[in-house]
Amino acid sequence: MQGSAGELADLLARTAMRDRAAFKLLYTRTSAKLFGVALRILKDRSEAEEALQEVYVKIWQRADRYQAGGFSPISWLVAIARNHALDVLRARKPVADDLDAALDLADAGPNPEQATVRSGERARIEACLDQLDTDRADAVRGAYLDGYSYEELASRHSVPLNTMRTWLRRSLLKLRECLSA
Amino acid sequence: MSAETIGSGGEDGDAIRIGEYALGLLPAQEAAALARQIAEEPALAAELRFWQSRLSDLDEEFAEVSPPAAVLPAIEKRLFGSAEARGGLWESLGFWRGLAAAGVAVAVLSLGAHMLRPVPVDPDAFAVQLVAALNAQEGSGVQFVALFDAETGNVRITSLSGEPVPDRDFELWYIEAGSDPVSMGVVPLDARTEIPLGPADRARLTPGTVLAITLEPQGGSPTGDPTGPVVAAGPATPI
Repeated sequence: MQGSAGELADLLARTAMRDRAAFKLLYTRTSAKLFGVALRILKDRSEAEEALQEVYVKIWQRADRYQAGGFSPISWLVAIARNHALDVLRARKPVADDLDAALDLADAGPNPEQATVRSGERARIEACLDQLDTDRADAVRGAYLDGYSYEELASRHSVPLNTMRTWLRRSLLKLRECLSA
Repeated sequence: MSAETIGSGGEDGDAIRIGEYALGLLPAQEAAALARQIAEEPALAAELRFWQSRLSDLDEEFAEVSPPAAVLPAIEKRLFGSAEARGGLWESLGFWRGLAAAGVAVAVLSLGAHMLRPVPVDPDAFAVQLVAALNAQEGSGVQFVALFDAETGNVRITSLSGEPVPDRDFELWYIEAGSDPVSMGVVPLDARTEIPLGPADRARLTPGTVLAITLEPQGGSPTGDPTGPVVAAGPATPI
């Protein structure tokens, strides 16, 4: 269960002051979300568990860098988890894509309950993604949510690498206009 | 590489390239070079914040998955050495809160009246007096009785049974339902201790507030929160 933004900000502040009980509570409140991030990107349970450990070590060490007023606490924490998972993913030796594992997780979207509490902000990026062709919106999502590289995106969408780059860059330009409007 | 886009892009090129960076699509070397550039150019940093904040609205799509129970102890071991591995249930804040919320069954009546003496009896005083029998938990054999007199603002705590533990101290806490434990200091065995409380603490010691004793490193918890096992606990009851 995630805590409120206020509670998480408080726990982060206390963690920055080396309060172990607060850190433990922060873990209790946020680890399921961050594990979900690591699992979705790494698609491997034991790698995701190892990544989660490293992510919380970083959180303990960097909690003082969280500044209220920028990102919500959970966005900041998700960004740490996502960036770490991407680092692990990119450092991996190229292995045959584990499609079975990928399929297990491919549809791990929000459950119906979560879906009903989607925020207005979320609706906004959804609306902007909806303005793109489905393929291209999926490529943006795949890059953000699954951490796919250009190469993976190209092979998943069965298009040449340069085509994928062009798709994505054009999509980003359109997204930026839409999101800035 | 993407030099053609980067070189010719101007404002849009920067926006796209930072969007790619935020998505994690740039090759490592290019990403590192861009990170240095972002650190130096506020306009680029603003562009990155734009992308990060807008993209983070997709975070809801990351489904929550409970990690295995072994992960947290492994993290604590990496950060704090093995110290935090001890304790388990007793360290969990949930336990403390449950304790305070449930109101542990009290055995005040079983305490002989002599244990409560000397109670400052003043028939004219309407000030609240609370007593808490801190019963042994998990076979610790440690028992205390605490008396709080709202008029003097003192908590008097007396040990009834229990053996000292080498290199450890007993620390007294009060826990309001839904709040973190608050330390009232280290308490000795074989002695009666008077603990003066400040106005804020006095106001929070009310019927139902749980008093508890934990086993802590010498001198008390190093963190300000309980770190050791609960050896005795009981709720405050008006007398």
